[in-house]
Amino acid sequence: MNNIYINSIKQISAQQPLVEDWFEQPIFYSEPYIRAIEPDYKQFFTPNEVRRFGKILKRALLVARQVMAESGVALPDAIITGTGLGCIESTEIFLDKLVRDGEELLNPTHFMQSTHNTIGSLIAIDTKCHSYNSTYAHNGISFECALQDAFMQMKREDAINRVSTALVGAHDEMTPTYFNLLKKTPYFGKLNQAFAGETAVAMMLSTEKAEKTICKIEAVEKMYFGHETIDKFQSQISNLKISNPDYIMVGTNDKPETDNIYLENCAKLFPNIPLLQYKNIFGESYTAPALGVYVAAICLQRGVIPEHLKISGSEFQISDNSVNKILCYNHFDNKNHTFILLSR
Amino acid sequence: MKEILISGMGIVSALGNNIKENLQSLLANRSGIGPLHYLQTSHTEFPVGEVKMTNEEMISLLNISEDEPTIRTALMGMLALREALQNANLSKSETRNPKPETQRIAFISGTTVGGMDKSEQFYLDFLENDTRNAYISTHDCGICTEMIANYFGVFSQVDTISTACSSAANAIILGAELLKSGRADIVVAGGSECLTKFHLNGFNALMILDRKPCRPFDATRAGINLGEGAAYVVMETAESFNKRQQEHPTLKAMCKLSGYGNTCDAFHQTASAPDGEGAYLAMKKAIEEARLSPEQIDYINAHGTGTENNDLSEGTAIMRLFGDKIPPVSSTKSFTGHTTSAAGCVEAILSILALQNNFLPINLNFSEKIPELTFAPVVSQQPTKPLQHIMKNSFGFGGNDTCLIFSKI
Repeated sequence: MNNIYINSIKQISAQQPLVEDWFEQPIFYSEPYIRAIEPDYKQFFTPNEVRRFGKILKRALLVARQVMAESGVALPDAIITGTGLGCIESTEIFLDKLVRDGEELLNPTHFMQSTHNTIGSLIAIDTKCHSYNSTYAHNGISFECALQDAFMQMKREDAINRVSTALVGAHDEMTPTYFNLLKKTPYFGKLNQAFAGETAVAMMLSTEKAEKTICKIEAVEKMYFGHETIDKFQSQISNLKISNPDYIMVGTNDKPETDNIYLENCAKLFPNIPLLQYKNIFGESYTAPALGVYVAAICLQRGVIPEHLKISGSEFQISDNSVNKILCYNHFDNKNHTFILLSR
Repeated sequence: MKEILISGMGIVSALGNNIKENLQSLLANRSGIGPLHYLQTSHTEFPVGEVKMTNEEMISLLNISEDEPTIRTALMGMLALREALQNANLSKSETRNPKPETQRIAFISGTTVGGMDKSEQFYLDFLENDTRNAYISTHDCGICTEMIANYFGVFSQVDTISTACSSAANAIILGAELLKSGRADIVVAGGSECLTKFHLNGFNALMILDRKPCRPFDATRAGINLGEGAAYVVMETAESFNKRQQEHPTLKAMCKLSGYGNTCDAFHQTASAPDGEGAYLAMKKAIEEARLSPEQIDYINAHGTGTENNDLSEGTAIMRLFGDKIPPVSSTKSFTGHTTSAAGCVEAILSILALQNNFLPINLNFSEKIPELTFAPVVSQQPTKPLQHIMKNSFGFGGNDTCLIFSKI
């Protein structure tokens, strides 16, 4: 079976874009809703591109170009995208006009840029890449759906159509309107929870280790419990063959209903393993779990965990543990549970 | 190499509310496209392929409480999934309390509109008051998949694919990969999509809707008739199938998925390359994966939307790959309308019905060959040789091109 490595990974989010400044100098926020810090696109795009593409498309294209350049892969064997809401800004513009002004005189541009797969297609068009291209849109596990697809195709035993390099992306924008709507739902309807943020992450996966390899992906698992609470959880988890990690990166977001599930399940399944967080500085969004993987990957690469990832109240000393294996655990609404094991 | 068998199918489309009705309409050359009846829109000039049921009728067929928030895409999906599971002898109790040999049943659904039917209806309420808040959460595609899954029981994993009009075909590819990798014992894959004002107006703004019944692969073609529907296939490895067959002697494998290819045209967000590069590569990849040669393909169920651009581009790709030995080609969108994200599986099922019953679904409304193409579409149901391997093309906006090959066992 092939090994799978992350050879490059980049983000645009509430932290400084395209760099790892958050490691030493994280930005903390107290507002409930934070847009991503945009890079100076004029440095990277033609004026026409800056004008034509919406926010999510510019971010996605830029992080994709950067990981392709850094990993030296101009034409990946697969471009796989996860996005909870797709190009929601374009969707809203088209919908708003349709609802308010009626069904005449609609401009097709925003419709063309409204489908979820606009992002993955744009990257393919930009790179003239004809290889496998797919998009997953499954709310809080969209990124893991995409990663699982890449992982399986790279592990394929059969040589025909096996994927050796995959560009995996995770992208969500949060418009003011959509934030206001989500505040009326359980997802963002709580005071004092981690801020609503935005995600743009691209990573280049490869079956070949490179000089700049960041970490290895050992396992990607997802499971669904639509009805009952998790009575089968334990047995399914034990089948995962996830050997004891040094840390678990969880998606706690200061909402007790969500956080307790992480705390209880981790205590049961991986007792005494210290937990780390990332949403305190990156915020909550459907594809935030990709930022969790990003943070874990950079920690593995540097062999250190910064103090601000520690969950307040947990008792361990950061320096006690080696940093060789981090398990990223995400759940969405206690229905979908995902596990991504990374190693040095 | 694990063999992937199709052991169940379920469908609702303009042709009927189950497999039997769809087959009968297809055999009778009876199109399901007609004047707009269910969707509330001012664009009544466009013929459409609607599922002939109101939401209320579906809610009652499914015995769902009327207080529960529902979306049309999920309702159609539940009906199609119910038939597919029954068809594969997977009863509701079995999915709720899976037996060891059917422990991991994955559900993969393709959709792009998700809950847009309710979002476009209640958008101003969302913004201005709290009367429709329950429908804010039903907007996203993943919730739609989970609503369909939860009607039945415990699926071990759920995935939603959104590659526009090739979504359901890509769901079938993911299903095969899950089975081959051993992550699932059984997969139910396909897609569901209802008509919405949102995409009807989007396609209209792009000026690719025909006011007359659509005419794929015809020189006079003038665009798409939109449709709606839901379709799922039950896929399993031969190992899982053989085990289950001992318990359910009536269980039947309909065909196998022998190959598939997914590529990207990488040309334009809404138009296909003139040389059909993405389509050509997808078909080539599928044939290679199936370890077949082009001459062995007995029928192509084309993407065939009826637009000027698609049919010429797809036809060119077919000519490039098959040369002077082009198999019979037709587009069943002349029967169902373009069911967008569901199309890949709706049309895969119509193709499998053709394979099982050894006939060629004809291309309705054809009169004049496209001058640039060397072939005309099928107008007679009678195949020249028994069908063994059939190809299903499914292409989406953004050049997401997918090809599936189904073979007799």
